[in-house]
Amino acid sequence: MDNFDDSTIWTEKYRPKKFEEVVGQDDIVKKVHSLTRAMNIPHLLFAGPAGTGKSTLALIVVKELFGSTWKENYLELNASDERGIDVVRQKVKDFARTKAIGKVPFKVIFLDEADALTKEAQQALRRTMENFTNTCRFVMSANYSSKIIDPIQSRCVIFRFKLLEKKDIEKRVILIAEKEKLQIDDKTMEFLYEASEGDCRRVINLLQASSSISPNISIDLLNTLISNAKPADIKIVLEYALSGDFIKAKEKLLEVMLKDSIAGTDIIKSIQKEIWNLQIDNELKVKLTEKTGEVEFRLVEGSDEFIQLEALLASFVLAGRGVIK
Amino acid sequence: MTLPFIEKYRTNNFEEIKGQDSAIAEARMFLKTFPRKKALIINGPAGNGKTSIVLALAKENNLELFELNASDLRNRASLEAVLKPASLQSSLFKKSKLILMDEADGITGSDRGGVPELIALIEKTKFPIIITANDIWDKKFSLLRQKCQIVNLKELNENVIFDIITEVVKKECKKITPENLVLIAKKSKGDMRAALNDLESVLNLGEEIKIEDIDEREKDIGIFEALKRIFQMPFDKKTLDVFDDVDMEIDEIMLWVEENIPLEYYGKSLAKAYDSLSKADLFKGRIYRQQYWRFLVYQNFFLSAGVSASTKLKNNEFKKYNKPTRILKIWMANRKNAKKKSIVLKYAKFNHMSKRKAMKESFLLPLIINNKMKKMLDLDENEIEYLEDKKGALIVSSGLNRFRI
Repeated sequence: MDNFDDSTIWTEKYRPKKFEEVVGQDDIVKKVHSLTRAMNIPHLLFAGPAGTGKSTLALIVVKELFGSTWKENYLELNASDERGIDVVRQKVKDFARTKAIGKVPFKVIFLDEADALTKEAQQALRRTMENFTNTCRFVMSANYSSKIIDPIQSRCVIFRFKLLEKKDIEKRVILIAEKEKLQIDDKTMEFLYEASEGDCRRVINLLQASSSISPNISIDLLNTLISNAKPADIKIVLEYALSGDFIKAKEKLLEVMLKDSIAGTDIIKSIQKEIWNLQIDNELKVKLTEKTGEVEFRLVEGSDEFIQLEALLASFVLAGRGVIK
Repeated sequence: MTLPFIEKYRTNNFEEIKGQDSAIAEARMFLKTFPRKKALIINGPAGNGKTSIVLALAKENNLELFELNASDLRNRASLEAVLKPASLQSSLFKKSKLILMDEADGITGSDRGGVPELIALIEKTKFPIIITANDIWDKKFSLLRQKCQIVNLKELNENVIFDIITEVVKKECKKITPENLVLIAKKSKGDMRAALNDLESVLNLGEEIKIEDIDEREKDIGIFEALKRIFQMPFDKKTLDVFDDVDMEIDEIMLWVEENIPLEYYGKSLAKAYDSLSKADLFKGRIYRQQYWRFLVYQNFFLSAGVSASTKLKNNEFKKYNKPTRILKIWMANRKNAKKKSIVLKYAKFNHMSKRKAMKESFLLPLIINNKMKKMLDLDENEIEYLEDKKGALIVSSGLNRFRI
C-alpha cells in the first residue's frame, strides 16, 4: 500500500514525467524529444484540443532542458486569464530580459491558450519574440492555430496534437486503476471514454472524484457526478421560453449564470446542444438553431451577454409559443 | 445615551481598519523614521479611515494625541497660539505627543497665513504632525506638500463596506435584508461614514420607508418619463432625443429599458424590442472595441426609437417601472462565488492550467480536494470549510451515499 496516497491531485500525480510516458502523440513526441536533446529548441506552437498533452509536453521539455533549475528558467502564463497587451509588455519582457541560469543559454516561456490573446497583444509579442530570441524561447499552446496571427505562426515550429483515442485513454486509466486500487469494468471504461470527449484531464478528475466516494467505479456513479456538471437547468430555461413564459425563462437563466458564474458563450453552447434534445418538431429545431447562431454571433460582437441572451429567449417565446405546455 | 454609529463604531486599532494596509504601513514607517520627515499628510476621500488611522497610530505608540481642527482655526494668530505651545512643550505626563491637524481642507483662501504658519510650525516642531485632507493636490497646498510625506488612501471597496456594516448589524442584534445592505454599501461609494449613517437611519426608521429615500429619487423621475415616452407614445422625432433629459449614463439607461420591456410588450413586440436592444448592445460592443464613437448614434437610436417602434399598439396605462436589479444580483453572486474563485485559482496554478478551464472542472473539486491537500494548494481555513460544505451538499443532493460500501 506504500503507493496509496490520497493527498495529492491525480492530474498532477499522473501527469507524464518523461517523453516515453506521453500517450497518443507518438510522432510529435519523437520530434520534440530530438529537438530537446540537442539542447536547443526553436519557438514551438502546440495546437490541439484540451487535455491532449500540450502543457504536459511543454513541462517535460523544460524539465529535460534545465533539470533541477527548471523553475528558475521557466515562466508559465495563461493567456486566457491574463490576456491583453500589458501581460506581454511586462511579465514576458521582465522575464525574457534577464539571462538564463545554468548551461542552457536561454529561458522558456510557456504561453498557455495563446489563442485567447488579443490581436494587439499578439502583435506586441511578435517583436518580443525576435528581440529576445537569444535569451528566451517561447512554447505556445492553442486550441486553434488559426487564431494565432501569421507572423507568429511563421516564427514557430507547429505541432498539431490529435484528439486522444480510446486506447490512449484506456492506457492511462488502467495504470491509475492499478495504482489506486480501483475497480473498473469494460463497460465503465467505454463510458469513461465517451464522457471524456478525448480530454484526459477530465477522465482523471472524474476518477479521483468518484474514488472519494467508492473504489468501485460504476457507470451509475459516474453518471451521477456528470449530471451535476451539465445542469438540467438550461433545459428548464428553454421550456419556460417555449411555453411562452418569458419572465420565468429570463429569471432562471440569470440564476443559472450567476450560480456558477458561467459565461454567456458557454450558455449559448449548451442552448445550441439542448435544442436537439427537446420534444419539438424538427422544423422548429432548425428555426431555433438559426436564431441561436445569430445571437452567438452578436454575443461575440456585443458587450452585454445577458441582453443578447434575453433577446434570444424573446425570439424563442415568439417562435415556439404554446409548443410546450 | 446612545452614540451615533459613526462614533460608536469608530475604531482605534489597526486590526479593525480594513482595506488600507499599505497606507497603514507607510504611516507606521513615518513615525519610526521621524524626524526624517516631520509631517505626514494622509490624503483621501471622505470616510475611508484617515482619522481612524491616526487614532490607531497614537494608541499603538502610546502617544498623547493633540487634535486640531483646521475648520475651527481661522487665522495665523490662533494657529500660532494653539499649535506652538503644543509642539514645543513636552507633555505633562511625559508621554510623547502626536499632533493631528484634521481636515486641512478647512484652511481656506481667506485664512491668510494659515498654510505658511503650518509650514513654519512643521519646521520647528519636536513632535510628529499628521495632517489629513480630502484634496491635498489643491494649488494652495503646493508649498505644504514639499515639506511633508504624503500617503494617499484608496477609496474603500464596496465589499469592505458591506462586511463592516454586516458586522455592525450583528453587533446591534438587528435584522436587515442582504439586498438593503448591498444597496447601502453601493450607495456609499467608498465612504464608510456615509454607509454607517445610512445604516443607522434605516435601522431606526424601518427598512420599508427609508430604502426608498436612500435611492436617488430625483434621478429616477427623468428615466420614468423617458420610458413612458418610448413605450407608450407613438414614435416621432422627439423619441430620438428622449434621453437628453435623463441624468444617467447610457449604460444605466440600457439596464432600465432592459428591465422594463417585459412590462409593456409581449409576443411579437417583445421579441422585436429585445432585438432592437440587442442591436444597441452590438454597437456598444463595437464602440468599446474600436473606440469609434460615432457608433453611439446607432446605439442611441436602437435603444430609443428601435424599442419604441416595436409596436404600433400603444397603451396609456399607468405602469410603475422597475429599477434594474441585475447588476445588484451579479454583485451579490460575485461575493458568493469569491471563495470558489480563489480556490479554483489556486488549483489552476498548481495544475498548470487556466482559471477558465479549471472553472469547468470546479464541480468536481469538492470531491477531489481533501484536507490533506490543504498545504499543497495553500488553502486557508475558510476555503477548506467552503469545500467541506459543498462536498456535504453534493453528496446529499445527488444521493452519492448509496455508492459507498
